[in-house]
Amino acid sequence: MRLSWIELTDFRCHPSLRVEPDPGVNVFVGDNGSGKTSLLEAIGYLASLSSFRRSPDASLVRLGAEGTVVRGEFASATGAALVEVEIPVTGRRRVLLNGKRAAGRAAIAETVALVAFLPDDLDLVKRGPAYRREYLDDLAAQVWPAAGAEQAEYERAVTQRNALLRRDGRMSDPTTLDVLDERVAALGGAVLSRRLATAALVAPSVEALYAELGEVPARVSFSYGAAGLEEVPAGAGADELAELLAPALAAARRGDLERRTTTVGPHRDDVDLVLDDRDARTRASQGEQRSVALGLRLAAYRVLADRRATAPVLLLDDVFSELDARRSARLVERLPEGQVFVTSARGEEVPLVGRHWRVATGTVEPG
Amino acid sequence: MFEAPIQRLIDELSRLPGIGQKSAQRLAFHLLTVEEVDARRLAEAIVAMREQVRLCQRCFNVTDSAECSICRDLRRDSSLVCVVERAQDIVVVEKTGEFRGRYHVLGGAISPIEGIGPEQLRMRELVARTAAEGVKEVIVATNPTVEGDTTALYIARILKPLGVRVSRLASGLPVGGDLDYADEITLGRALSGRRDL
Ligand SMILES: [Zn+2]
Repeated sequence: MRLSWIELTDFRCHPSLRVEPDPGVNVFVGDNGSGKTSLLEAIGYLASLSSFRRSPDASLVRLGAEGTVVRGEFASATGAALVEVEIPVTGRRRVLLNGKRAAGRAAIAETVALVAFLPDDLDLVKRGPAYRREYLDDLAAQVWPAAGAEQAEYERAVTQRNALLRRDGRMSDPTTLDVLDERVAALGGAVLSRRLATAALVAPSVEALYAELGEVPARVSFSYGAAGLEEVPAGAGADELAELLAPALAAARRGDLERRTTTVGPHRDDVDLVLDDRDARTRASQGEQRSVALGLRLAAYRVLADRRATAPVLLLDDVFSELDARRSARLVERLPEGQVFVTSARGEEVPLVGRHWRVATGTVEPG
Repeated sequence: MFEAPIQRLIDELSRLPGIGQKSAQRLAFHLLTVEEVDARRLAEAIVAMREQVRLCQRCFNVTDSAECSICRDLRRDSSLVCVVERAQDIVVVEKTGEFRGRYHVLGGAISPIEGIGPEQLRMRELVARTAAEGVKEVIVATNPTVEGDTTALYIARILKPLGVRVSRLASGLPVGGDLDYADEITLGRALSGRRDL
């Protein structure tokens, strides 16, 4: 899989920009604020329909412009995919895949695979469970295109339930709550089963990579605590989990009516990373945490490459400035053959052979 | 920004769905160049529509008399009712040619985010009709969204105790979309393959 070309209009600081990258390694070099990460962000947006900086859509539009347009074409052995996104400052986003309206992320995920390494990837290990839930959900949505739609629907169902609780509190209409619970349980079961399957799928690769990156070999696993459930049966399917979530939601209702929020469901679950029997978040060194984080991203790449019969596009946003020489070298050794995009303030710090581009506001030139 | 009469029209037009500032300006200046009779005909059409169109007292479809043409059509099966969110969804289902019952327009879907609960929809009217008209089956054709699904489940909860069969359009409709976007063939299949709730 590779990006053949990308065009931005009024995206972040760039009024207009077009790049036809190399099929191999591309290094975007530029000062802070030159818009090199924005260029990477635009590439990522075409694949995931969201910003890897977690920015809301409207903030991607250049200041003063009415909207932004990002267009790009991905090519793989199975054909080409033209993705076009139009984001107005107000109103709904429009996504076209090969000229046809695409309902959402699922249609894109079926054709485009991409993995991004970000400067704050250490958060995946060091910070709260939300980061690990998001990592697993993002990967699930790429492995099973339907999973992205399930996640969006689940989130919407929980938001609706919370809106009812917030507005009416203890006076909430019980029948409306009943049917919302039914939706939350059904969609929650689907999200949860995909998340558990993803954790099982990716953990062996993370463990292998952890050792390959030069750490003392250790067993690496996810420890999963589902909110409101005593335990999660191994290998449980969506329906089985939905049947467990339904009574858990019913049991939590009294408390939820008081707190005016939904306390049961995969949006509240605990996900820990465990090294042998140590919690990686609290009982691993910074270096070990760094290797686990790199392992998570590389493992995602391996899982996707394996599942999708095409190497994903790889984004490395300012990753090398954060790594010591040993981990940099080991990461580079493990980088796959496919197309790679790297950003860096100083091109010479990037230990990769490839085409260098100089990025400034509104321009990108071979450099 | 423009002379007051023009700006007033631009402001009104830009409040319409799908019309931004730029389109509103273009339309306003276009109306300035056409013959005056043409502009007047448009204005009169809007006024006439608002004066003459009302809601069917049985199903809340739009009509120009007390009951809509579907409710007046005696050949249609009154024991079968298709529930839709909005009146324009009726046209979409009608186009499939698969449905010979009557309709019920809810006026939206349950969405606490927007402050819409069952009380804000025509649920009570649906229950009353079901008993009064001897309805045996209700097909819920709300949009395939979280709100549409929730509404379908709600209808099943309140109608099943009355001995009414409640079914939902079979899947195959694009998830998260509007009924509008489904083509006739897909919708036709969804109608014939509906499943019980
Ligand atoms: Zn009628």
